[in-house]
Amino acid sequence: MGNLLAETSNHKWGMVIDQDLCTGCQACVTACAMENNISFVGEVDAGYGRSMHWIRIERFWDGEFPDVKATTFQPVLCQQCGHAPCEPVCPVYASVHSQAEQTNLQVYNRCVGTRYCANNCPYQVRAFNWRDFPRPEPLSNQLHPDVTVRRRGVMEKCTFCLQRILKAEDAANAESRQLTDGEVVTACSQVCPTGAIIFGRLDDPESLVSHLVRDGRAVQLLEELGTLPSVTYLKGGSSYGRNG
Amino acid sequence: MSEIKTLLALFADIDPAVQAIDQLREQGVSDEQMTVISGIPLTEAMLGRPRVWSNVPRLALGGAVAGMLIGIFLAVVVPNLYPIQVGRQALIAGAPTVVVLFEMTMLGMLVSTFLGVFLDSHFPSYRPKEYIEEISDGKIAILFSIPDEKETVITSALNGIGAQSITPAERRQL
Amino acid sequence: MVATAKPLEHTLLEEHEDPRQHLMLDPKPRGEMNAMVMDSMHTTSWKFWVVAILLGLVVLLCLFGAWGYLIAEGLGVAGVNRPSYWGIFLVNTVFWIGISHAGTFVSALLRVFKAEFRRPFTRAAELMTTFGLIQAGLSIFMHMGRVWLSYWLMPYPNERSLWPNFHSPLSWDFLAINTYLLASTMYLFLPLIPDLAMARDRSKGWRKVFYRLLALGFRGTEGEWTHLRTAMNIFAFAIIPVMFSVHTIVSWDFAAATRPGWSSTIFGPYFVVGALQSGIAAVAMVLVVIRATMKNMKYFLRPEHFDAMGKLMLIVSMTWSYFFFNDYMVQWYGGDKFTQMLLEFHEKGPMGWMWFAMLICNVAVPFLTLWNKKIRRTPGLLFTIGLIINIGMWFERYIIIPISLTINRMPFTWKLYKPGIEILLSIGTLSFFILIYMIASRLIPLVPVWEVQEGQMAHGLRKVGKAVVKTVSDLE
Repeated sequence: MGNLLAETSNHKWGMVIDQDLCTGCQACVTACAMENNISFVGEVDAGYGRSMHWIRIERFWDGEFPDVKATTFQPVLCQQCGHAPCEPVCPVYASVHSQAEQTNLQVYNRCVGTRYCANNCPYQVRAFNWRDFPRPEPLSNQLHPDVTVRRRGVMEKCTFCLQRILKAEDAANAESRQLTDGEVVTACSQVCPTGAIIFGRLDDPESLVSHLVRDGRAVQLLEELGTLPSVTYLKGGSSYGRNG
Repeated sequence: MSEIKTLLALFADIDPAVQAIDQLREQGVSDEQMTVISGIPLTEAMLGRPRVWSNVPRLALGGAVAGMLIGIFLAVVVPNLYPIQVGRQALIAGAPTVVVLFEMTMLGMLVSTFLGVFLDSHFPSYRPKEYIEEISDGKIAILFSIPDEKETVITSALNGIGAQSITPAERRQL
Repeated sequence: MVATAKPLEHTLLEEHEDPRQHLMLDPKPRGEMNAMVMDSMHTTSWKFWVVAILLGLVVLLCLFGAWGYLIAEGLGVAGVNRPSYWGIFLVNTVFWIGISHAGTFVSALLRVFKAEFRRPFTRAAELMTTFGLIQAGLSIFMHMGRVWLSYWLMPYPNERSLWPNFHSPLSWDFLAINTYLLASTMYLFLPLIPDLAMARDRSKGWRKVFYRLLALGFRGTEGEWTHLRTAMNIFAFAIIPVMFSVHTIVSWDFAAATRPGWSSTIFGPYFVVGALQSGIAAVAMVLVVIRATMKNMKYFLRPEHFDAMGKLMLIVSMTWSYFFFNDYMVQWYGGDKFTQMLLEFHEKGPMGWMWFAMLICNVAVPFLTLWNKKIRRTPGLLFTIGLIINIGMWFERYIIIPISLTINRMPFTWKLYKPGIEILLSIGTLSFFILIYMIASRLIPLVPVWEVQEGQMAHGLRKVGKAVVKTVSDLE
């Protein structure tokens, strides 16, 4: 993956999630699992809070049946914080900041599994490989060749589909041109049926993401903590979208 | 020239031992030719002996400095050589540096103190030495070297003070 | 002043106050004390072997067997999950480091303050430090995902040009705990050398070879004593800040994190006092067991020592209560929404019983019992109170780690922690601690006889008015 040409580019990647468009269909969760070789942990472990999905759809409701009031769905993934609490606490530098992509990198080969990063993540988006999950033939055919397969004892999390970013940057550099907006889509953004997930470069003022972060509905999760997340949520409430 | 004989005089209490030391000095035995061996630490003040020079405090200080330098290397030099930015914290941050410096200084000081004891006391040393097992039972032994002809005089003087035994000091495997 | 303190003649004194009940005023000839200590080391009953073999089996199965299974299968067989990424392994780590502080407290702090009652049990306490730190180290290794790569926490030049991250509290942990382990082992060994020499002089066969090797050729010359005493003084003063720093740094593993309930500025001193509380209670427990099971220990360990330990336990319990209340009050009063939810979860959640048990064990029981001199001086009762305090302190760490981790700022992830293989491994580490302590009691003279004799030499009686009082001279 390490490519000198990609390292010289200095983009800031960001994401906007429109909660008023999200239907909670979980296509993003599925696509992410397929794209990033995420293991299936089984019913028991998943029920015990050990599912390894890099993005999860949070749903909340108010009241008791039959007067239940549902709120908007909240897809939560790694916020790729500018001021990431997970970074300073890793004793072996497995959680570091990418200067080129302005995202948070999880270095699988370096992780020794102390799990301090996961404890310190206020969004609880990090997934730990509690066991080895074998993929007997022919399941191994579903693995994405551009993405490492992680073993037990290693922490993982959303990478903004770094493999897609680097591939697109390589192609753009090879053709001596700039990346166009919409050329790089993360798996979750690509598959969302309502277009609720938009991905792009925040350092490009003309990109769709840059327009949307200036929207009146824009909020950030746990903004008061000062983590400077790269993910912005658009949330308008009852006058927009769903019955909430 | 007469031969030099080394004798070991054994005493049961401090007072007779101190008297014996004075007696030996009167007989012309210098402080360097005497050694007191005991089962508990007896200070120089109690025995009326010259202060023993110990390198341990100096080594402790040196070790502390060495530890601090290692701490500076780890906390300041290494991040500058291989910089990795984490969490928008400055590369050399005050608080983590203090922690590293403190721990390495203390480690340096304590390890060098420990090794200083070994160095100063010539530990470990398994060669045969002059020793009597009663010493660890609380007796006080004075190991002294005198010229041959003085032996009878000194022996009778020490016996008068109350020595439990006066034997030629032979080196034996401890 | 005599080197071998002769038994005191009966002088005018109050009828109920027999000075000979104090160890320091009841001297025996050094040779006799040496023989007593050697005897207690050599006299091993069949009951010892039964317990040792049972513990050995437990260690084999529950420590090594279960740990091997954990390494092979991964942390899935433990109870950790999202959001409680840390569980009983970290609870045990903090617990054992807490126990280890007791040794340093007794052998260093009490020495610096010239508390003479420490003399017969400094070594028994210091052994707890080294062995407790071993268990803490094992527990840390157990919780790591890829323990076979744990050497990456060591700072050494390597071909990857990668050094540990010294911004991480875990790296500070690595430095601090290793410093403390080395320092306390060295501090255990230095005053042990004269006793090893004594054991060498009184042994035969393989024991003599063993002690001769470890005694390093010590004889007791003025030079050797001077160097030893100088070093011990430096150690006594220097290891106290190390002791404080170690548990403070361990507390920063939690306080430096951004979790509600963890990001508390009082964790440093709170944890140090908590360590002292469980540690001193554990020393009391160990001393009761030593006195009950080892020959001749009733001469060295007397009600006066348990009295002193009991007073310390009460004072430290009060201090712990102060810090706990400080932490609780400011969180309850001005805490943010999630901290408030956390406090409610502590008290009224499914594990609320543990919170109340902790307060009863750490506050109510010591306050209600340890003010009473008779209770303090009764070894069996002090053992029970010490055990209750240690259970309470283990609960405190369980509440701070897995229970506090359950409540975070993303309620969708809240899930209660249920221990898995950690229970077996906890039993294994405790059994390992007891086992190596038992083995050490057969190989190492548990009582520093030279220090006891030194103390007896320094103590005397004198008349003040009509009273006959204990005096202590400063022989340094």
